[in-house]
Amino acid sequence: MATSNLLSPPAQITPNTALKLSQKAPIILSSSPTSSLPWPLSLLFSRETPETWTIHENLLLAALRTGDDASARQVLDRLTSRFGESNERIIALRGIYEEALAKDDKELTKILDGYGKVLESDPTNIAVRKRGIAVMKSLGKTAEAIASLRVLLDNSPTDVEGWAEMSDMYASIGSWGQAIYCLEEVLLMMPNAWSAHAQIATLHYLSAPASVPSLSMSLRHFARSVELNESYLRGYYGLKLVSKKLLPLLSETPSNSKRNDEDDVPPPKLQTVKKLEELATGKLAEIIREYKSGNKKWAAFDEAEVIAARELLDRDDKTER
Amino acid sequence: MAILGTTLNAIGLIFLTHAVYSAHEHTAAFAHAPLPLDISIELLVSILVLSAGVVISSPQLKPIQWAKWSGKMQREGRKGDGRWTKEGEEIVTENDPYAFLGLDAGVGGKAEGRRGFWDVRAKRKEYTEWVKSGGKN
Repeated sequence: MATSNLLSPPAQITPNTALKLSQKAPIILSSSPTSSLPWPLSLLFSRETPETWTIHENLLLAALRTGDDASARQVLDRLTSRFGESNERIIALRGIYEEALAKDDKELTKILDGYGKVLESDPTNIAVRKRGIAVMKSLGKTAEAIASLRVLLDNSPTDVEGWAEMSDMYASIGSWGQAIYCLEEVLLMMPNAWSAHAQIATLHYLSAPASVPSLSMSLRHFARSVELNESYLRGYYGLKLVSKKLLPLLSETPSNSKRNDEDDVPPPKLQTVKKLEELATGKLAEIIREYKSGNKKWAAFDEAEVIAARELLDRDDKTER
Repeated sequence: MAILGTTLNAIGLIFLTHAVYSAHEHTAAFAHAPLPLDISIELLVSILVLSAGVVISSPQLKPIQWAKWSGKMQREGRKGDGRWTKEGEEIVTENDPYAFLGLDAGVGGKAEGRRGFWDVRAKRKEYTEWVKSGGKN
């Protein structure tokens, strides 16, 4: 089944899915992927494939999540005997295992110190650096985590994952400007990422939900996200929400008044926003209709998201009447 | 459609083999006589049937426009093309390539992704709370 797939786990893992994933441990642990024969023969009779180790890694994470520490230990031992103790990735995975077993913040701080020592001997170990940042965040030291992540991004500015994490951290403390900047870096490297466009639009919207410049930026990015993905529910939802807010603001202020030099992009035309709103309403209605009718080709939407879209449309109907 | 394609392929191959064999026998028997019309027709028909079979049994084409392709994936969900690993995991070929950014669930959302920064303790806590609450959905 596609939902509980260890090779490529789904984008959202509920506890239920995590349980299903970790229940595969006995099957995978029952047969050893590596051969026990001596060296030249082991190459010929090895049963491992490139996918084997991805599956093992995902199994380790799933087992740790569900508290199946015994299986996790076994998987970790297998990975360690295959790739060696000093492999960057193995050090990070062992770190995750230790973090999971840590009983309190004190032990966690000790693990963090351990990461520091690893980094002293090998400052280029990105995987361990990221683990350290994750531990700081887990301990609630967001400011330290951000500082540490900034060092990482200074040295490795093409790390998209890092920029996305940085944006999330800034957003969590309400620094919208910095969060938007980080996501713009993500977009520089992945201009086709519809989810990044929707996220940056969300940040623009949250940063100033009643100002024309940030609402227009938000509208632009939501429009781009649905341009990149014609059935992106979140994009249409945002488009509808933002255009609904923007319409009264635009009709209040004539287009050429109150233009200061700071916002270099002119606000969109009233007509355009109206059209976009209609488009979003139509698309949302289509998605809701097809999803409710149980059409198999439209079944992959998240139910909660569809319900939210429905509520948005219902609210809209009420205000118009 | 798979059965139709396979049947057409089988029929086409049988007729093609038969036509080639007939042509060979004919030239062996009458070296200077022209090929009879029925053998030529059989040859052509068998090739047409075989071509139709190959086209029908080929996998469905993917959309070549980015928005259409991603939209289809958004509607229909992740999919593989029927290959499985030894461990019994399906190889997913149609997948959101940006899921690793973990931005899909919004600000502070619960999307997986950004695995380098995976917070194992929070996930464990979430799971134990789920178990305590009775383990629904």
